[in-house]
Amino acid sequence: MYDTPNSERDVDQKEIKFSARDVQVFYGDTHAIKDVDVDLEDKTVTAFIGPSGCGKSTFLRCLNRMNDTIDVCRVEGDIRLDGEDIYDKRVDPVQLRAKVGMVFQKPNPFPKSIYDNVAYGPKIHGLARTKGELDEIVEKSLRRAALWDEAKDRLETPGTGLSGGQQQRLCIARAVATEPEVLLMDEPCSALDPIATSQVEELIDDLRSNFSVVIVTHSMQQAARVSQKTAFFHLGSMVEFGETGHIFTNPNDERTESYITGRIG
Amino acid sequence: MVFTLFALVLVLAAAAYLASRNRAARVDAAGDAALHSRPSYHGLHSALWVLMAGLGVLVISTIGATWFITSTLMNEIAQARPDAPLIEHQLILSDARAIADGRISSGSDMLREQVADRFAGLDRIRNVVVIVLTLGAAILGGVLSYLSISPEWRARNRSETVIRAGLLVMAVIAILTTIGIVLSLIFETVRFFNAIDWQLHKFIFGTTWSPLSGVFEGKMDAEKVGALPLFAGTLLITLIAMLVAVPVGLFAAIFLSDFASKTVRSYAKPMLEILAGIPTVVYGFFAAITVAPFLRDTGEAIGIRVASESALAAGIVMGIMIIPFISSLSDDVINSVPQSLRDGSLGLGATKAETIRQVVLPAALPGIVSAVLLAISRAIGETMIVVMAAGQGANLTANPLEAVTTVTVQIVALITGDTEASTAAGPAFTLGFTLFVLTLLMNMAAQRLVARYRERYD
Ligand SMILES: Nc1ncnc2c1ncn2[C@@H]1O[C@H](COP(=O)(O)OP(=O)(O)OP(=O)(O)O)[C@@H](O)[C@H]1O
Ligand SMILES: [Mg+2]
Repeated sequence: MYDTPNSERDVDQKEIKFSARDVQVFYGDTHAIKDVDVDLEDKTVTAFIGPSGCGKSTFLRCLNRMNDTIDVCRVEGDIRLDGEDIYDKRVDPVQLRAKVGMVFQKPNPFPKSIYDNVAYGPKIHGLARTKGELDEIVEKSLRRAALWDEAKDRLETPGTGLSGGQQQRLCIARAVATEPEVLLMDEPCSALDPIATSQVEELIDDLRSNFSVVIVTHSMQQAARVSQKTAFFHLGSMVEFGETGHIFTNPNDERTESYITGRIG
Repeated sequence: MVFTLFALVLVLAAAAYLASRNRAARVDAAGDAALHSRPSYHGLHSALWVLMAGLGVLVISTIGATWFITSTLMNEIAQARPDAPLIEHQLILSDARAIADGRISSGSDMLREQVADRFAGLDRIRNVVVIVLTLGAAILGGVLSYLSISPEWRARNRSETVIRAGLLVMAVIAILTTIGIVLSLIFETVRFFNAIDWQLHKFIFGTTWSPLSGVFEGKMDAEKVGALPLFAGTLLITLIAMLVAVPVGLFAAIFLSDFASKTVRSYAKPMLEILAGIPTVVYGFFAAITVAPFLRDTGEAIGIRVASESALAAGIVMGIMIIPFISSLSDDVINSVPQSLRDGSLGLGATKAETIRQVVLPAALPGIVSAVLLAISRAIGETMIVVMAAGQGANLTANPLEAVTTVTVQIVALITGDTEASTAAGPAFTLGFTLFVLTLLMNMAAQRLVARYRERYD
């Protein structure tokens, strides 16, 4: 049922993409993330699992500084991308976010056409020189997000007119279109049927050859299917982090075990 | 007395509420069967009945009794003075009332004293009758609904029906008032057009506005009712005002909603709204005393002739007046664009400015358009500033440095002028009606536009 764990040596060869040390996040007085230390590898899919409200989204949002947009939110600690402190004053969050893309927990298509939704990022970052190139990027991204067949005849209709699951895939296509180095996906399949889910999982697997992917999911099966590493969060702390196969077959912490076997969460 | 009775009925209603609610609560507590409606609905039902019965009878009996007294006394006066005209009968009656109330009357004689006595007697009877009827009806309504309390009594549905009917009545009043105003506008407009023999083109395209000069026997001179300069002036000033207010207001709103820190916002927003609280009269003399001379002097200094009353001065000050209007409404719509849309754009590596221009503003556009439209309606209808700062002469010009006049200014001039109201009302109402139609058309067109835009993007 689970992927065979990669051998230790194989893992060691991979570079560290994100390294977080002693990360604390506060919403006003609420201490939402406590003492998180983690190294996320390049060209790897990392899954964040844990009960609702444990801080998965919050930690994910630290990685591309989306928490900056929340007034009451305060992030402490040290998070490095390719060895560079992303909370350093000299770092431009705009450039960071171009490198670290994000698919949000709630689908949030822009009130624009499907085409313009996907073309938004490439246009801003000047990824296409001609209309033809842009068309190509849009088609490729929609195909990767498994939305092309449904959307190809209605590219000019508003993205907000799609169904919930279609909107979710549109947001995935939108994020993929900017070619980020890291893609953060917050429950990208929560509204998808099994077929679309498996297509998105294929996409994630596909992305792994070039990028790193971090995915938050409530589905153990999905975590086991797509990820190589898994982090288990509980009440704001990262309880356990390791090989996905290891976490699912032989967790070290009993909280992890109870969550996986369905006793807490 | 009417007010005391009114207050009494309110007290009775409150008492009925409490009594019925308590009784319903006791029925509930007895627990034989579940109450259909919560006790407070039983209370509400009783209170509503007390109010309706009490106030209804109060109004009807007061009107009825007064009518009865008046017609009885008028009859008696007519018998006593069969040869005097009706108007004298009425005078006698009103004198008699004054005497009865201890006020000063225009004269006093035997008949007046007699009638006054009769009036005082009847008035006492009337008071007793009204009090008895009103309180009786109120108490009866309360008692009946108190007695009907039972578990299966549908007090909630019944009181909701009563409340719905009440709301309907209010809505009908509002609608009827509107219809009444529009009808009277139309009526006067038609009369005015009759007076110029339906030469509508003279009104719409004529360039001389001086409707009251040489008026005799209600006949207007069709050559002198050209309203074009007025509408052109209104348009010019509105345009200038919008050129000032829309950019400033919109950018202020964007700054406040997306760039200002919380502290700046908490000071800046109320400050802007203070502008909205300044009476337009103050803006008016500000325009006339400060801005217009300043413009004239500046113009002189650089060799341009600026009239001491100019469209520019009025337009600029009107724009300033409208800024808080646009900024506050736009700020609300911009704020109501969900944060998730901003996050989505920022998360793709867009800058704040790109996010605002490409995501926030398009999403907020329908709201911003309505804000601008409301502002235009205000600018068109604004009177005080233009009366003081734009001038009175009906010039047809597109030059903002000259004096112009507007529709509203001319309406003021007509109504407050020396000419008797019935003659001046024609042109004034016609101008008002035309303004109303134009504003209405503009609003409708814009709403279409917004609706089509919404269709595309919602
Ligand atoms: N904007 C915010 N303001 C204040 N508190 C917040 C905010 N966002 C999240 N929190 C709090 O932080 C904690 C972690 O929330 P978070 O959204 O990270 O949970 P999650 O693990 O993603 O949950 P879920 O699986 O339900 O999405 C929660 O207790 C939540 O109440
Ligand atoms: Mg979440």
